[in-house]
Amino acid sequence: MTRLFITLAAILTLSGCMSLNSVSLTQIPSDKGQLVSASAHDWLFLGFTTQNNFVDEAINNLKQECPNGKLTGVLTKHQTTAYVLVFKREVIASGYCKKA
Amino acid sequence: MQKLILMGALLLLGACARLDHVQIGDIDQSKGNLSPISVKVSETGVEMAVIAGAAAELATHSKRNQQLQEIRDFLALINMGPRTGNPVFFDTYAENVLDALYQQCKTGKITGIRNIREAKTYGPVSGEIVRIDADCIL
Repeated sequence: MTRLFITLAAILTLSGCMSLNSVSLTQIPSDKGQLVSASAHDWLFLGFTTQNNFVDEAINNLKQECPNGKLTGVLTKHQTTAYVLVFKREVIASGYCKKA
Repeated sequence: MQKLILMGALLLLGACARLDHVQIGDIDQSKGNLSPISVKVSETGVEMAVIAGAAAELATHSKRNQQLQEIRDFLALINMGPRTGNPVFFDTYAENVLDALYQQCKTGKITGIRNIREAKTYGPVSGEIVRIDADCIL
């Protein structure tokens, strides 16, 4: 039983393979302000999904990190982590917030 | 007949969303209130090799089956290589998104442009979508 549990745990842990789907970066000014970041993710079983709403969630989260300010140097990463039969899709965004 | 029903069910139930690319631009929330705007264009993408393969499975005559398998292999070969999503028939479908975006923003001040390349897939057929979301500074 213990051996089975260890094997299962090892499979789950070691099989987490990550792929970077896209990366983008916008211009960074010299007076860039404070670095802020936000992210959002969703989980898929067998890769099936009918929506990509978590992307909007990431953008809203990023906006909330810099209310009434200007976000520049925005780095956006879209990545997927594959576990056994389960996938985690993630958008991670960071940028420099300059308050008005 | 059973194969046809099964394939139809798979096509209908297999409607999936795919996300290929996300890009977020600079967001300026200091110049006034923001109003969300969005433009979405789509083009039908078809994986012809899969369709030929499915037709080969359905073919009753062995000669026809073999011919369809050869067509499938040929289509797979000519579509081989790096690509995003299924092949589309027109590559100009996303050219007017900028104009369409400006039409939604009377002030002409647009910030927070988000480029999203995604798709809705129905088996071998897909809607290859380019979505541009942004905020209009009022």
